[in-house]
Amino acid sequence: MKLTHPKYKKNHTNFVLLASLLLTLNACSTIPTAQNPNSIPAKVEQLGEMSYLHVSNIAAQKRKQLLFVQAEISNSDSDNQQLFYRFKWLDANGFVIDNDEAWQPLLVYAGQKQTINGLAPTPQATDFRILVSSPDNTGNP
Amino acid sequence: MSNITSKNTVIIALSSALLFTGCANQTPNLSSGNVEYGDSKAVETLTNEFGSTDLQSIAQSMSNSLLQSPVLSAKLRPLITVADVKNHTSEYIDTKAITDTIRAKMLKSGLVRFAVDTSAMQNQTDELIRQNSGLYKKSKSKKLGQMEGADFRVEGTIASIVKRADDVKDVYYKFSLQLIDNESGVIEWADEKEIRKTSNQSMF
Repeated sequence: MKLTHPKYKKNHTNFVLLASLLLTLNACSTIPTAQNPNSIPAKVEQLGEMSYLHVSNIAAQKRKQLLFVQAEISNSDSDNQQLFYRFKWLDANGFVIDNDEAWQPLLVYAGQKQTINGLAPTPQATDFRILVSSPDNTGNP
Repeated sequence: MSNITSKNTVIIALSSALLFTGCANQTPNLSSGNVEYGDSKAVETLTNEFGSTDLQSIAQSMSNSLLQSPVLSAKLRPLITVADVKNHTSEYIDTKAITDTIRAKMLKSGLVRFAVDTSAMQNQTDELIRQNSGLYKKSKSKKLGQMEGADFRVEGTIASIVKRADDVKDVYYKFSLQLIDNESGVIEWADEKEIRKTSNQSMF
């Protein structure tokens, strides 16, 4: 059977179109829903499990060419909790910039909220991640 | 026959030696087993004396605050120099290590410039004098009298209050930094970073 015949050629084209459509539909159904890149979970990297502390709000804006980030940390426990945090800065292509920011300690009082601030080291930083850890975690910097 | 046997013995011995040598050098590490590298950025709470986390926190906080000060953004890449940070604590603290870190962080931003400070001035003048000693081509040597005076200088203090009650020791550090206009003498910016560290020395 030769597919070069006009009749077969038409069938072949239809088959290819149908197959492409099926593949596309199939692909669409299997692609996981992408996380909103501006959501809090997308910006927070947590070391291990955090039982009582969580990042409840994040705000970011450019201040004099440098990206300024402010995050709110909430403590849902009835005891004070220790938080360790640091910022990781990324350029427009997703590369890490100047990854030498030290871990900072912060005491968050029971049932209270505290804010942490970060300032990008260079104007090239356009995105960030907040790395958080607490002594309840498995990771402890 | 005995020649063949001894040859085989030598080959086996060499192969074994190579194999064992190979096993011993799997990682490029020569260690006694008592020393290991750690994270230089980790939170350090070994004692409540001034430590690496205090230095890093102060430098981070001060450089962030300075870079956001309106007076520095009013000028295009202003020139700053670092004066002394006086240690008023009872501990030995290398305050130059703190100001060096602040300077490095600020320089990385590209928004400010730093002139050599007094501790580096001798090297600067020595180099200029050497270049103008007649040993170098005049067209290729840096001229005298072209150094730039800094617009601002940074200076400050670190102080501490130490208290003990029973087994509890509380140390409070206050690091103060100021930015002064060299021409007018006006303090254009000031900020402080406070650190409290409490340790319990109870044996039980």
